[in-house]
Amino acid sequence: MYLTRRQLMGAGAAFGATGVLAACGGSDDEPTASASDASAKPRKGGTLRVGALGRPGAITRDPHGTQANESDYLVLSLVYDTLTVPGDKPNTEPRLAASWEPSADLRTWKFKLAKGATFHDGSPVTAEDVVFSLKRLRATPSGASRLPGIQAAGIKAEGTDTVVLVSDYANAELPLLTRLTTFVVPAGTTDKDIEKAPGTGPFKLEWFRSGNARLVRNEDWYGGEVHLDAIEVKIFESPQAMANALLAGQIDVASNVGAVAARTAKGRSDIQTVRRSNDMAMPIVMRTADGPFADPKVREALRLAVDREAMVAQVLSGYGSVANDILGTGDPAYDKSIPQRARDLAQAKKLLAEAGFDTSKTYELLTTEDISGLAESATLFANQVREAGVKIKVVKQESAVFWEKTWLKGSLYTTYWGTNDSVVFFASKTMVSDSGQNEAGFKDPAFDAAYEKAIGTADAARRTQLLKELQQIEYDRSGYLLWGMADGIDLAGSAVRGLPTLPGYGRVQLEQAWLAR
Amino acid sequence: MAGPLTSPTTAPTASPLSPGKRSARVFARAGVLLLKWASLLALLLALVFLTVELLPGDAATATSERGESAADLAARRELLGLDRPVLERFLDWMTGLPTGDLGTSARGEQVTDLLSSAFPNTLLLGAIALLLTAVLSLALGCWAALRPGGRLDRTVSGAATAVLALPEFVVAVALVLVLSLWTGWLPAVTLTDADGSPASWDMLVLPALALTVPQTGWNTRIVRAALADEARTPHVESAVLDGLPPHRVLTHHVLPGALPAVAAGLATSTGMLLGGAVVVETIFNYPGIGSVLASAVADRDSPVIAGVTALSGAVITVVLLLADLVRDVVTGGRR
Repeated sequence: MYLTRRQLMGAGAAFGATGVLAACGGSDDEPTASASDASAKPRKGGTLRVGALGRPGAITRDPHGTQANESDYLVLSLVYDTLTVPGDKPNTEPRLAASWEPSADLRTWKFKLAKGATFHDGSPVTAEDVVFSLKRLRATPSGASRLPGIQAAGIKAEGTDTVVLVSDYANAELPLLTRLTTFVVPAGTTDKDIEKAPGTGPFKLEWFRSGNARLVRNEDWYGGEVHLDAIEVKIFESPQAMANALLAGQIDVASNVGAVAARTAKGRSDIQTVRRSNDMAMPIVMRTADGPFADPKVREALRLAVDREAMVAQVLSGYGSVANDILGTGDPAYDKSIPQRARDLAQAKKLLAEAGFDTSKTYELLTTEDISGLAESATLFANQVREAGVKIKVVKQESAVFWEKTWLKGSLYTTYWGTNDSVVFFASKTMVSDSGQNEAGFKDPAFDAAYEKAIGTADAARRTQLLKELQQIEYDRSGYLLWGMADGIDLAGSAVRGLPTLPGYGRVQLEQAWLAR
Repeated sequence: MAGPLTSPTTAPTASPLSPGKRSARVFARAGVLLLKWASLLALLLALVFLTVELLPGDAATATSERGESAADLAARRELLGLDRPVLERFLDWMTGLPTGDLGTSARGEQVTDLLSSAFPNTLLLGAIALLLTAVLSLALGCWAALRPGGRLDRTVSGAATAVLALPEFVVAVALVLVLSLWTGWLPAVTLTDADGSPASWDMLVLPALALTVPQTGWNTRIVRAALADEARTPHVESAVLDGLPPHRVLTHHVLPGALPAVAAGLATSTGMLLGGAVVVETIFNYPGIGSVLASAVADRDSPVIAGVTALSGAVITVVLLLADLVRDVVTGGRR
């Protein structure tokens, strides 16, 4: 499902009680997260109460609908299984599909279903169910972007346990596309009955009401042992209320609650902070097609003018890491050998002079307050590049106006991506010449060629090599200035163990969680 | 405020109308008022549709995912019926209203489902806050009025002015900090049960207080002022001259005459309570219409916004009507 525009509106501007508390907090010692502590033996039993962000008006129960609420997505992903799930290394791991294999031309992929997988009503999962679900997904308004390059006719069953996906083009990373919304429901489920459709996931739905839900363990889950008796999902509109609920002991986990809450909880030894690195990219987009930033030298000058450490420290309160203008930082194929760009004002001024950049003018940087820190990043950036002689005025737009008027069109604006799938994901979505979300109007024949070569290469080692070429171009002259990556931040009570540490939608993988009490 | 009555012959205690005629008159008046409010509400709903139409973006773009093409958006727009003119969509929605059909949200959920537990929850919260406001402001107003201009009167009036200037937001945050996070006495937020209502009663305390405090400030001042006005009327003066004890003058002579103004003040508070609920519900995660409304506005979801408006409008109408009837009954139909 990648990122819905308003996915994180709720995460914006968290202030109030938490802010006040943060000011009162004494100690700076942060309790180390024991959530990832794997040494202890998991204890069975208990009910985990998880708070997740969501807006009551945006609630959806449809596993293939537009899931704007993290709370809805959490419930759906505990009840229903996708073909594959996000992993660390590799970044795509098996779930309902136990294994997969491409044809030589990388266009036809065969997914073998997990043995013993059954729906919660006891009936076995067949290829027919998967084909039905994928076709249902493909038929939604967002179908084309959720299963890119795959037509409905290209989704077929082979026997009872194999699903075949045929792509319009060679795609070495097709299994990655099946990680997020390929939820499987029984074949023949009607839209009317979709809320009651049994899933195959680690938890069964006991009840759902107004965004809140209670789920109980699926004793027969094919994916391994589930430790918790039950999970209760609580919907929160504001991260601040969610943080308060955790601090007051009303919930055990505050999922994706943000840096402000983490600062608040610093002084509390009974609260764990789980930092999931590489969670969110908030790059500045410089239009490459035309306008004042079309000259690569100007773009490089801005990249050299930004103070990345200061951005991470101030915009993200230190909950993040410095980035190097290449998107897809969490990808195992991410090229760490490219030297980290650092601030160099002299070189920036030199490049601007060479490019004949008009420093007498004031340029507008358009931004929104969709997510916490975004507008702040624009303001700090404007202050920093002033030292290189570039005058920038920050203009905040209301979300709807921004997405309609500025996004994909503006010459200088902030964007954000709550997904960090892979280098290839960003290349294909935002940088290849004809990509649908080419945010900077980037058209570079060498980049396109590198992309096509990489995506059409079956050999993983060779592909990684080719992806380095692509990343070098991105580093040198793309329209992105990626100064840092924000951590995803969950807060949890001291008894919670086994929480996910993956960025993005990896945060919903609660099947390994357990309670030490 | 009710001005001093001009002639002693029209003292409110004496009614020249027979009981039968009087109740018929009250009903007729209620009918006229109801009709007036209903047409105002219809106008308001039309305004809702029009305003949402004028906002940048629409429900199709708001509920889309990044990367949907223009064709995808057009399909979504057609699916949601947004390709039809706004007037047609409004009339369509209005025809469903009498049957209780509030339409479908931009995400395909029935609006009645979205509001089925949220609206009663807000009503409960609002009713508790209104009741608390009525009791507290009457008590404080009367208490202050017992000795006009005394130290108590000045303290109460001053405090009332101070709290009525406090936004609900500030009150709410302070309440959470003190009564929950520092002392641990009350839950910080409201969690919801399987039936869609708050999981325990003590979760209602903080949100109700946050709504009550500013409104009590407002209403205490109204009560105090209405009592002061009424105290200047001749019948009250004669009661005082008769040597009746102050509390008896207050309860039997001043308060009845001041009631219409007090009721009108409380009725006005109903609207402000519902408005304040939007803020307070977010802070306390209270499962009411406030949060539904906020997200519906962000989504440009006209049916949901109109649904919330219609229901709250109906409630406010009923309360205003009751306040008008109180005035009618007390003044015997004369103004």
